[in-house]
Amino acid sequence: MPTRPNGAQPGKPEKPTRPVTPGSPAAKDPAERPAAAGVRGGAHARTGRAAAAAAAAAAGVRGGDHARTGRAAATPATPAAPNPFGSTPHGHDPEAVRARLAAMPRPSADDPRILLDRTSDADLFEPIPPYPTRTEREAEFYSLGDGEMFLNVGPQHPATHGVLRLVLKLSGEQVMDVDPVIGYLHRGVEKICENSDYYHVIDQVDPLEYVSSLFQEWSAVLTFEKLMDVQVPRRAEYIRVLTAELLRVASHTLYMGFLALDLGGITPILYSFIERDEIVEMLAAITGARMLFNYYRIGGVNGDLNHEFMSRLGDWMSRAAKQTEANAALLNENEIFVRRARGVGIMDRHMALKMGVTGGNLRACGIAFDVRRAHPYSVYPELDFNVPTRQEGDSLARYLIRVDEVRESIRIIDQCLHNMPDGPIIAKLPRLLRPRPGRAWGAVEGPRGLMGVYAISDGSDQPFRFRIHDPSFMNLETVPHLLPGNLLADTMAIVSSLDPIMGGIDK
Amino acid sequence: MAVGDRGRRGAKAQADRQVVPAAPAHLARPIVVPNTFWTPTNPLAYEGGRPGEITHLHEFGETDAGRNDDARWGGLDVIPTKADYVLDLIRANSLWPLLSGLACCAFEMMSGATSKNDMDRWGMFPFRASPRQSDVLIVAGTLTTKMAGPLLRLWEQMPEPKWCVALGDCTVSGGRYKRSYSTVQGIDRIMPVDVYIPGCPPRPEGLIYGMLQLGQIVKDRRGHWAEREIGPSVPDKI
Amino acid sequence: MDRSLKRHLEARLATHLHGPVRQFTDQTEIRIEAGSVVEVLRALHDDPGLRFEILADLAGVDTGNVMQVVYHLWSETSPDWLRVIVDGLSRDDPRVPSATFLWTGAEWLEREAYDMFGIIFEGNRDLRRILMPADYTSFPLRKDFYLPDDAARSPGAGSRQVERPHAPAVVADDPGAGIRRAPVS
Repeated sequence: MPTRPNGAQPGKPEKPTRPVTPGSPAAKDPAERPAAAGVRGGAHARTGRAAAAAAAAAAGVRGGDHARTGRAAATPATPAAPNPFGSTPHGHDPEAVRARLAAMPRPSADDPRILLDRTSDADLFEPIPPYPTRTEREAEFYSLGDGEMFLNVGPQHPATHGVLRLVLKLSGEQVMDVDPVIGYLHRGVEKICENSDYYHVIDQVDPLEYVSSLFQEWSAVLTFEKLMDVQVPRRAEYIRVLTAELLRVASHTLYMGFLALDLGGITPILYSFIERDEIVEMLAAITGARMLFNYYRIGGVNGDLNHEFMSRLGDWMSRAAKQTEANAALLNENEIFVRRARGVGIMDRHMALKMGVTGGNLRACGIAFDVRRAHPYSVYPELDFNVPTRQEGDSLARYLIRVDEVRESIRIIDQCLHNMPDGPIIAKLPRLLRPRPGRAWGAVEGPRGLMGVYAISDGSDQPFRFRIHDPSFMNLETVPHLLPGNLLADTMAIVSSLDPIMGGIDK
Repeated sequence: MAVGDRGRRGAKAQADRQVVPAAPAHLARPIVVPNTFWTPTNPLAYEGGRPGEITHLHEFGETDAGRNDDARWGGLDVIPTKADYVLDLIRANSLWPLLSGLACCAFEMMSGATSKNDMDRWGMFPFRASPRQSDVLIVAGTLTTKMAGPLLRLWEQMPEPKWCVALGDCTVSGGRYKRSYSTVQGIDRIMPVDVYIPGCPPRPEGLIYGMLQLGQIVKDRRGHWAEREIGPSVPDKI
Repeated sequence: MDRSLKRHLEARLATHLHGPVRQFTDQTEIRIEAGSVVEVLRALHDDPGLRFEILADLAGVDTGNVMQVVYHLWSETSPDWLRVIVDGLSRDDPRVPSATFLWTGAEWLEREAYDMFGIIFEGNRDLRRILMPADYTSFPLRKDFYLPDDAARSPGAGSRQVERPHAPAVVADDPGAGIRRAPVS
């Protein structure tokens, strides 16, 4: 029922002029109000789980993040603290404000035509965590010490590389602890792949690491080729390496731009996107799509190189090296960037090994593990490239490693172009792929690390189990170890330097 | 060894679909959807299944609650409606999007905002980080059930007038994740959508075309903001 | 196909292996029981001739009859990937000792295996859901959570309304209905 502006309700006295009867909806103390069934007053969950569950359900709780179960009784309105100005400024009356607030119901989230009472602060604030803690680590994290507070860097945040939620426990500016919450992009790809043909699996696996989707496809295709014992023609292998290294350059260039963006510099991201657009248009010429390429097939690739691709590639290669140096110099010679990244988020090499970190983040700690050298696949044994390694393990080292990797990738692309053999681009396979029952694991070196796929075949045309191992998942797991002790301002520098892609993390 | 209905392909039930006729483009009539599909947690929503009395935001604005709500334009009765007539022309050229990139389509959105395909030509460059400062919510990327809550909260935090653009197949209809257990099959199941931009991902030129269409919609509906629909806008029986 | 690795494994882990050490192109595979996980992983990690220090993957598998946990390891001593299959976990109460004593990074991988299958990793300090919402009640990758063509009507859908658009809304006067707790110990 709609309420009048000054809180008067039909049949009930106006608030400021008459004494308030206890037990009426206008009572200040929420405990005195009648427990209304249904919508009104359902927002404060008072006792017990069952009542809370019913109240929460009735009040239109929208999700696990906002479930208000088990919360203690909402505190009654406390009298205002002594006003430092002496009298209330500007005729401001806190009681009237609260009364006005109480008289102004808010539209329910499910349907704005339903009006809910705004009777307590329970509506405005949500306890952290919104459910009772169950594990040891949760209990340790969610207990506040002296002078500590929680800051929720929520799923929507300009700097979190997608939907990542970091619950920071801060003591002033210093981060004491962090609980990364992921899963906001969990799309159920593994389950969908269990119900898809092997061809469709390649398409489904693209949007995981959407920035470097060819590597994700490559890991899947590599595993299937092991499972089905398929020989890939040499030209197809060279095309795979060529396109993948191009995408590695694009991914690392984007990384540099995003790292700068998270540290506050807006210019490098524009340069990165120019580079990335060029590379991606090149790949669109042969694959047909700008981002989710769906290009690799079991036994080869989908289409051969064509004139448009070669001309765009030639244009790009003619200025790639200089452009890379220019883009890197934009940041390397920037004192603010270097001082914000040097010495920040140092990853100890033993900790990195134990955390399962791979890729550039591990090589920045001094361990030279690159799947292309450790367990070579495709034609990498024939190609001449270095694996850059650094010893410091801080954000600057992680950034510089990727700059080096871009240079190495350009060398690899050059060699591929020079040594590109002729021949078929895909092996001859039956249309209906039915591999023998078995298990296979294949891994490639993506821009972020080891991308692995474990596939189990049961003899039918759908994989029985399709497990994707993503490098960003392990990289992000180091965040609770890297962030504490650093200031809030370094948080984004560290998370960004690990290069997480939420699509892969959440599968 | 396999358990369950692994061999079953499952023919899609071809239910006869009655599509609500599309509203004329120049005026957004609210589509009152009989509540057969979307059942919110609140059992009294939509008057427990009966069509509600308030079908226009306009009418809500005439109630006291609507009048006093600070986030709504309709708080003052007459003047914003008339002023909207002119203001919407201005707004159409300065739609500030909210940075709400969830997945892959976010990269195409960013690509649409950067140098090669520049959305700043139409005033859309400032991607605001805060929902309080933005006009358009471009939902770019798959919406999962875990993220649905925070996204709806973002939508509610945006002050009116606001518009919503569904970018990419996943937000239009669920897309390639139609068979997934954890994605919302199109964001129009939880919020009203003004422009649908299909594609996986759509090219930045497609996004720009969609945003220009949104500008056109803003101009066409100027002065009639109050008659827009609120709540989910998914058509019947989908 | 690293034959020396096979011999070394058979010599070192003879009592723990169930079945022969299988080799296939560039992978070596051993099968063990849940009780041997701690000793086997520690032997693989610490033994100077093996030194499998890099954990590449930790996956859960539901074969329909039993559950498995599959580790993939890498060592500098061998050109093969090593796959350790922990077999024979019951589908009703799968329990495995946690690998977090060796690799801290296994914590999130085990959380994911728990989230998707319900496998309890004993010793994991933080065994809660990681990908699904915290109040989700099913384990999606199990074989009895099937995806019919319209996944929205899947029987394993969660407790929240946004996850079950076809189901009727929760009735207000039934306090126990609707929000069920996940069966976690």
